[in-house]
Amino acid sequence: MIVATKKPIEEILVALAPYESVLILGCGTCVTVCNVGGEREVSLLHSALRVAIANSLMQQKRFHEYTVKRQCDREFLEALKGKSEEVDAILSLACGVGVQVLADYFSDIPCIPAVNTVFMGSSSTFGIWDERCAGCGECRLYETAGICPVTRCNKGILNGPCGGAKNGRCEANKEMDCAWLLIYERLLKLDQLDRMRKYSPPRNYGNLKRPKRVIIT
Amino acid sequence: MAVSLFEEKLNSDKFVVTAEIGPPKGTDLSEMKKNIELLKDRVDALNVTDHQSSVMRYPSLGGCLLIKELGGEPILQMTTRDRNRIALQADLLFAYSRGIRNVLCLTGDSVDVGDHKDAKPVFDLDSVQLIRMIKTLETGVDMAGNKLSGKVQFFVGASCNPEADHIEPQLIKFEKKVNSGARFFQTQGIYDVTLLRRFMQFARQFGVKIIAGIIVLFSYRMATYMNENVPGVKVPPQILEELKGLDKEAALRKGIDIAARTIRTIKEEKLCHGVHIMAIGREHIIPEVLEASGL
Amino acid sequence: MLERGIKKTQILDRALIPPCQDACPLHQDIREYVDLIAQGRIMEALKVIRDRNPFPSICAYVCPHKCEDKCRRGRVDKPIAIRALKRFAVEFGGDRMVRKEVEERYSEKVAVIGSGPAGLSCAYYLRILGYPVTIFEAYSEPGGMLRVGIPEFRLPKKMLDFEIERLVQMGIEIRTNTPVTSLDLLLEKGYKAIFITVGAHQGRRLGIEGEDAEGVMDGISFLREINLGLNPKIKDRVIVVGGGGVAMDCALAAVRLGAKKVDIVCLEKREEMPAGKEEIEFCEEEGVKINPSFGVKRVIKEGGRVVGLELVRCVSVFDEKGKFNPKFDESEKTVIYGDMVIFAVGQMPKVPEEFNVHVERGGTIKVDPVTLRTNREGVFAGGDAVTGPASVVEALATGKKAAKRIDDYLRYRYPLEETEERPKIEPEIRQKTVEMIRKIERIQPPLKSVEERIERFEPFELVYDWESAVREAKRCLRCGTGAEIFYKEKCASCLTCVRVCPYGVPVVDEKGEIEIPPSDCLACGICVSECPAKAILLRKPADRRQVDLEISALAGASKKDGSLHIVGFACHYGLFGEGSLSYLFRTPKEGIYIVPVLCIGKLETEHILKAFELKAQGVFIAGCGEGRCARENTDAFAIRKAERAKKILERLGLERERISVFTASEMDIEKKLEMFIERIASIILERTLKEEK
Ligand SMILES: Cc1cc2nc3c(=O)[nH]c(=O)nc-3n(C[C@H](O)[C@H](O)[C@H](O)COP(=O)(O)OP(=O)(O)OC[C@H]3O[C@@H](n4cnc5c(N)ncnc54)[C@H](O)[C@@H]3O)c2cc1C
Ligand code: SF4
Ligand code: SF4
Ligand code: SF4
Repeated sequence: MIVATKKPIEEILVALAPYESVLILGCGTCVTVCNVGGEREVSLLHSALRVAIANSLMQQKRFHEYTVKRQCDREFLEALKGKSEEVDAILSLACGVGVQVLADYFSDIPCIPAVNTVFMGSSSTFGIWDERCAGCGECRLYETAGICPVTRCNKGILNGPCGGAKNGRCEANKEMDCAWLLIYERLLKLDQLDRMRKYSPPRNYGNLKRPKRVIIT
Repeated sequence: MAVSLFEEKLNSDKFVVTAEIGPPKGTDLSEMKKNIELLKDRVDALNVTDHQSSVMRYPSLGGCLLIKELGGEPILQMTTRDRNRIALQADLLFAYSRGIRNVLCLTGDSVDVGDHKDAKPVFDLDSVQLIRMIKTLETGVDMAGNKLSGKVQFFVGASCNPEADHIEPQLIKFEKKVNSGARFFQTQGIYDVTLLRRFMQFARQFGVKIIAGIIVLFSYRMATYMNENVPGVKVPPQILEELKGLDKEAALRKGIDIAARTIRTIKEEKLCHGVHIMAIGREHIIPEVLEASGL
Repeated sequence: MLERGIKKTQILDRALIPPCQDACPLHQDIREYVDLIAQGRIMEALKVIRDRNPFPSICAYVCPHKCEDKCRRGRVDKPIAIRALKRFAVEFGGDRMVRKEVEERYSEKVAVIGSGPAGLSCAYYLRILGYPVTIFEAYSEPGGMLRVGIPEFRLPKKMLDFEIERLVQMGIEIRTNTPVTSLDLLLEKGYKAIFITVGAHQGRRLGIEGEDAEGVMDGISFLREINLGLNPKIKDRVIVVGGGGVAMDCALAAVRLGAKKVDIVCLEKREEMPAGKEEIEFCEEEGVKINPSFGVKRVIKEGGRVVGLELVRCVSVFDEKGKFNPKFDESEKTVIYGDMVIFAVGQMPKVPEEFNVHVERGGTIKVDPVTLRTNREGVFAGGDAVTGPASVVEALATGKKAAKRIDDYLRYRYPLEETEERPKIEPEIRQKTVEMIRKIERIQPPLKSVEERIERFEPFELVYDWESAVREAKRCLRCGTGAEIFYKEKCASCLTCVRVCPYGVPVVDEKGEIEIPPSDCLACGICVSECPAKAILLRKPADRRQVDLEISALAGASKKDGSLHIVGFACHYGLFGEGSLSYLFRTPKEGIYIVPVLCIGKLETEHILKAFELKAQGVFIAGCGEGRCARENTDAFAIRKAERAKKILERLGLERERISVFTASEMDIEKKLEMFIERIASIILERTLKEEK
């Protein structure tokens, strides 16, 4: 899942300043899952903006609420056709992908992102999200017992721990486990420590060359 | 044939001593110069740190050149944190061309512990890959397989942490570094010799040179700070106890004492092939440490 | 485009039928009135009760409460004390809200034979429908078994008188001392329909040797004599034969009449006895000895008088098919001595032959189960006379049904069996959930001391006080009103509901879809207020609408002069039910507006912001506190929601301290509120000072 965080509302207030009629548009997929851009957040943001108006932090405006199934595919935006004339800006709670598709679709209406897209990850407890994949284009999870050193090691080391860990926690963030100790422990459990002894060559950053596109045949 | 003077000394079975020079933040090199002059003839080689703790400073390469100019033997510390493989290779070519022959290959501390927390962490390569890269350069081609003019050759070193909480993965990585081409190791600060002994039982079989790291403590506060904030360093409680409650001067004396005590044990037991003294920010006291440990 | 305010919220009540309601012959909305009691809305509770029960005060005393046997709380610890709660509501509410006037719409006269509960109920409903009704009663006073069977200490006659008085006021004619001997006469007299509810008043005998001895009588006669004030003579040592409710009543009555020793003998094993558990316990408390698993072989007499019974061990009462077919071990015999024997081994209806209705083997009248018609045109029957001895509610239920069928008949409608319009909820609760539900001890209604109660024929079970009633009512699990993923298409399978539920209810089903099994949900509402897609609704959605409405009502409450304006969301149960928050409502304060919520677990962050949007200067949320709240984690989630709102306020440059959550258990609510008011006042002061600068 794509994970995003809410933008500070003051940033949104600034961005909305010039507009009079704003559509607050949620997305029913990833950002709903990570609790930042679903229908609930749409109405929460709406309420927050109204509180801002009530406290004279922003000019009076007209707001409309809507949440589409997915903003990242134009077919789902079809539902907004005909309604868009009423608004002069769209505040999108979708990830960066959604905002761009939206902006393409309504190329004559300014689209303002209301969230910051941060990573691809998962949640194991309510309210906590962890990055799990960097989209590096050459997955080595097989070598590392299913634990990704690219996203979970602060330095993305491919050949074992850096030596900076204390009490099993990463030198860069005491809250997080050292990925390589996790890998070591799981390889040990799987009786596959040789995987760790094997040299892992440098990453092919060519995979990340932009603009990127995938064509399926 | 030894690649560098430093290698030659290590091969001669002498108990070598190296020390660490930390470059300044800025262009005033006078302090660094003074320290180099003070130490260059008393130790076998001088390391220059590469933005230690991810704090931006005068570069390691610059420091090494200065040592060279002043007639010392430099060890170029090189981390993969700030440069991608292109920059790293280029810097190595440059270093070789200026007579620098010793390289200590490191991954580098996390950007998050430094003073430019918003910087992009590069880590194009890790330390093991850096070692291999140097070995590749030595064959006359770069990482992309393109031919290089002229020769490149280094005495390649790496680091290891015998006091890590979980030693087994460290040993695996050590072995990997050896297999990739590391010939000498400078360890993380040693405070507990028993842990070093444990490590050496394993390391000895590989026939590479191991130089034990000694970080001189100056105060109780510094010790606790390192425990909290410096990756990989762990000052044990007994040593903390020794430093507790001492005034500035007494604490410094005690710190030198502790360092000397450790060095003597290592030397007497012939545990390793030398020691590497790190007196972070106070290089001028290193001669005192040497004296106190009878070197 | 969807404007704010036009909520898509489905207002349909989609609650499922809980097992308590399903078990109740009158199908009463128990869950609803129990919850209303918990909310302190007793009059509303009473209204719900009266809605389906013609004589709630009678049921409140004597109902055998099948609902409690089925109550799902019983799977967790003990069932809700439903009957006792009803009694609390009835006695608290008194005779207010009682219907007195009815409109006579039809001219067809209906005759009801017998004034037991079935007859009374049928008359009541027929009267409401608009028919002239006459009840014929053989005895001198109306009420059937309620009058002549059930002893005073279980049902005070004044309760019965009160209900009957009501019927008379409604214009129902009751002719006592008027045994009906012929239906033809009634038809001749112009009655267009007849309902026979003659009950089952003939005590059964076992047909064993010595039964005719002096000092042997049947239970029904014994109780009737007592009830009619005939003061039957009691002996020192009384033996009651039978294991049912009537036997227990006889034993208790014998104790009250002064018997020195009372024994009960019954075929069943102790745990098989058909009498209610409580009744058996009452007997034992009063010194009655129960001799289970014995059959009576013969009555031993001496000089024509009874001196004891010869008993034989009963090994089983029912055969494999579950039919009554007792088996004895003749080798184990014993003798029990006594100078009076009361046989309470069942009753049979006695239907006059002249009625010319079809009577079955046990003496019961044969009727069509749907129409309640007998073989005779226009003649219906119900109650004990049809079923054999049953219970008051069952009689009330058939009476009610008969009224409808008679109406159908008289109006030439095709009689239709009412079908259940809503699905029932599964009686089971998942073990995992059962373990997660906090055990809360059942509160029994208080009883008089044994010494006091054997003194006289007075009810010995007392009514709850307010606090016990409300606390007992709060134990209800609100079965079937829980969460439902109503907008399935919106669900993003985010698992929020799965993770926030304090009872582990929502699950991922085998198709990978999120499902909230209705039978496990306790309707705490936490998932509803957390679902990021707003896909979940409570099956009984009134709760949320109420909050929305109350907040909207606050618009314009704030004054221009900047005087205090604080909105407090407070738990309704705490405000008006248990009362731990009642201070907030009882002591109105200038500028403080209380919005009751049905548990702060159901509050949403938007509600808090909405208050600020309406220019509130501060918002507090007052809950009952962990342990007092009948659900789990409601505090923690309220704090979480408040935190979210605080963050938004902070970002908008407003003080986060404007929001506060306090719970009744942590400290004196009065002090908390004062501190909060002070805090808000100082925030406002500081602001104005700053602005002036
Ligand atoms: C001792 C005892 C205790 C009980 N305790 C409970 C209890 O705690 N809870 C519970 O739910 N149930 C209890 N019951 C059962 C309950 O009382 C009966 O199931 C219920 O009263 C049946 O109602 P009914 O209207 O069918 O008949 P009844 O109440 O028996 O009423 C029938 C009426 O018809 C009259 N009648 C008969 N023949 C004629 C005629 N020819 N003309 C005119 N009138 C006639 C009778 O005099 C009588 O008044 C108890 C029963 C007894 C005997
Ligand atoms: S817990 Fe409440 S709703 Fe459920 S069966 Fe019992 S009384 Fe009925
Ligand atoms: S919380 Fe809502 S969106 Fe998430 S899984 Fe449950 S029903 Fe679906
Ligand atoms: S959170 Fe509450 S309302 Fe939702 S499923 Fe669980 S018990 Fe039911």
